[in-house]
Amino acid sequence: MAVPARVRLPLLRPLIEQLATIIFGLVVGALLMLPFGFSPLRAYRSLLAGAFGTIPDLLETLAFATPLMLTALPFSVGVRGGLFNIGAEGQMYLGAIGATMVAGLLPLPAGVHLAAATAAAMLFGAAWALVPALLKIWRGVHEVISTIMFNWMAFWLSTYLAVNFLGEPGRAERTVPALLTARYPVFTEDSTLTAAIFVAVALCVVVYFYLWGTRAGYEIRLAGENPEAARYAGVHAGKAILITFLIGGMAAGLAGASQIIGRPPAWSLYATLGNVVTLGFDGIGVALVGRNHPVGGVLAAILFGALAHGGRLMEYEAGVLSEMVRAINGLIVITLAAPEIWKLVRRRSAR
Amino acid sequence: MRDIHKVYADGTVALRGVDLHLSRGEVVGLLGENGAGKTTLMKILSGLLRPTRGEILVEGRPVDFRNPGDALRVGIGMVHQAFTLVPPYTGLENIILGQEAARALLPPRTGAARERVEALMAETGLAVPLDDPAESMPIGVQQRVEILKTLYRGTSVLILDEPTSALTPVEVDDLFRFLGGLRATGKSVVFITHKLKEVLEISDRIVVLRGGRVTGEVTADRATPERLAEMMVGRKVVPRVSRAPHAAGRPVLVVRNLGVAGDRGAPAVRDLSFDVRAGEVFGIAGVEGNGQSELVQALTGLRRPDGGEIVLEGARIARLNPLALYRRGLGHIPEDKARFGLALTFDVAENSILSRQAEPRFLTGLGRLDWRRIVTYARELVEGFKVVTPGLRATVRSLSGGNQQRLLVGRELSKSPVLIVAMHPTRGLDIASTVYIRELLIGIRDEGAAVLLVSADLDEIIELSDRIAVMYEGRFIGAGQAEEFSREEIGLLMGGITADGGARTSAPTSAPAAD
Repeated sequence: MAVPARVRLPLLRPLIEQLATIIFGLVVGALLMLPFGFSPLRAYRSLLAGAFGTIPDLLETLAFATPLMLTALPFSVGVRGGLFNIGAEGQMYLGAIGATMVAGLLPLPAGVHLAAATAAAMLFGAAWALVPALLKIWRGVHEVISTIMFNWMAFWLSTYLAVNFLGEPGRAERTVPALLTARYPVFTEDSTLTAAIFVAVALCVVVYFYLWGTRAGYEIRLAGENPEAARYAGVHAGKAILITFLIGGMAAGLAGASQIIGRPPAWSLYATLGNVVTLGFDGIGVALVGRNHPVGGVLAAILFGALAHGGRLMEYEAGVLSEMVRAINGLIVITLAAPEIWKLVRRRSAR
Repeated sequence: MRDIHKVYADGTVALRGVDLHLSRGEVVGLLGENGAGKTTLMKILSGLLRPTRGEILVEGRPVDFRNPGDALRVGIGMVHQAFTLVPPYTGLENIILGQEAARALLPPRTGAARERVEALMAETGLAVPLDDPAESMPIGVQQRVEILKTLYRGTSVLILDEPTSALTPVEVDDLFRFLGGLRATGKSVVFITHKLKEVLEISDRIVVLRGGRVTGEVTADRATPERLAEMMVGRKVVPRVSRAPHAAGRPVLVVRNLGVAGDRGAPAVRDLSFDVRAGEVFGIAGVEGNGQSELVQALTGLRRPDGGEIVLEGARIARLNPLALYRRGLGHIPEDKARFGLALTFDVAENSILSRQAEPRFLTGLGRLDWRRIVTYARELVEGFKVVTPGLRATVRSLSGGNQQRLLVGRELSKSPVLIVAMHPTRGLDIASTVYIRELLIGIRDEGAAVLLVSADLDEIIELSDRIAVMYEGRFIGAGQAEEFSREEIGLLMGGITADGGARTSAPTSAPAAD
């Protein structure tokens, strides 16, 4: 694939800006810690050590990052296309269901099986995104409303399916585990990272090339940036919306799959959906921190993974209360996301 | 108002020292072209904008309006061109909106207010249905609600911004009767318009603005339409573009009995027929809002016409989308470049293919954009059309308005179009870019393209056009060879006055465009 001439430099600037913001966010977090008598330096040292200190820790951070870089895509691609798609959560549940069905119940030869389970998850996620897309195109239903409703419908539908049709006999708390032929290979025994991360990163990169390197992607971005200019350029608005939703649905579906067929030790969906729940919403934050850029989302997901995984060491080594850890993580994320949120709000009010 | 200046944040100078006084019981007509500063001046008077310089005196005392509420407290209220009613609220609710002491979580008490509003209606003779939702009322009635709303707040100076633009002739007569009554009760009215006939009919005194200055002030009994037109259109000093006469060729664009609806569903273009030929500039003059936007949108595939035919090079195109039209040789310089023709956060190269993104020359396999060719083409545009830009990868937002327009015009002309539709192609541009773009339009005409120029700038129309039509209320109120018109005549026609004396609302004189 020919590399668009804009790949190299324009990415550098936001990256430097975001790194500066991370430092600012850390300082804000430190200010929060001080009055409670925690040592910010010790806390951050253990955060860093916890996230990247050893090879298994680094891999674990990446394991946390894998679903998040994917659930960021529905939102970030949506924003590029002028949509406020917050349906990643529900689309991800359906992806998890799709992966569970094919991986756990459908015996297939090795190789084919893994691909089939992955494809099924993406298909399920896209199908779940299709309805809000069509509602928007045909009836003008605002995607925020429809995707929130679809998130809840997906939650109860998935719970129902997991409990009644996909449950593992004798183990009420989870579904049938993925057959061995449908599991992404594990890197090492002491982390939960699997080769699913390659698929996730690849999808992010493909989406990037699609948006900036193809005519269809250009039209989607044009529709998002200036709908009237898109009309002038002969862009079919409905088509742009449809593609935007479907890309997001596929990515979210893959995120769901990554937790079923790409994450030990469960290799299955918990009946409470506990091993996937909120990953979709976290993706919104990841997208914002990643400046709504697919590749930025990969980096932001690694940051989120580092905060999640490294935060644990901050708790039992630096003695920072777990609530405080969450507050600090939240502060850093808000600080990082603020510029992008501001941009979105301004764009909305300008219309 | 004394020596009022207003410079907007983006550097646009709207007012350059305007004096205006208003007596009790007087109707003042404020006349001027689009962009003359009428609305800005009145927004300052009603507290919506603050002047950059200058002062406002009310009964001899200087006042400083920080918001419309301050102005209302001394009795100055404005009815805007775009109404500010809450559509599902009833007439009464809209009138008293914000004036009732709020009761937490309970609907406001309306009994006493209803009596006062009814008394006001009886006093002014303005009747509106108080219990119907505003959205169900015709425009004329909505306007009465707006006026009542303003009067209900104790207004003694009523400002009306283009109040007749959406009204039917009967509604206009009603409005004028009401304004006469208002004057008799000692209230003052400022009436903003660009329609000569109306301003003569209703005003005691007429103030003409042009380019942010007062260019004339006369009492109504001494004003004539000709004099007002001259004061209104004036003359600008932009170097003229030379245009060698040459014979026009075959008709490229043929429009027959075209009808187009506006945004509110009312007809904006009515039964319009004309041709544009190869090698000529056909200029459509007119005050904005007389159907030009809708006409251009219909011609360029952005709005579906209600009836009639549009034929480009022998093919009917009324139902085609813009891309199909571009393929057939249309170039479109839209009325607002930032709104329609460019994506400001996209870079120069990306904008150079906006509306050309589907052309095979910019694509490689699988629908991928061929960035190398796009960048090469963008460089040609930038060099060929003298676009000053920090780089091909700089956002278009970082370019000046003139350079943005050069890029856009260059892009459209590089399509080698058979027909260029250009609307306000030089609006808001610096003089150098204005002249350059006019030269480009004449250049492509000389090469044999048909050019349809729609502009509110009279100088532009006169300078560039081989044939001219003046659009008024969706029709051509006059059309012919450019030489047949004097600029004063066009000015009168723009104000809705035909050579034979004319009427305010055009009688069904669907002027034939063919010469």
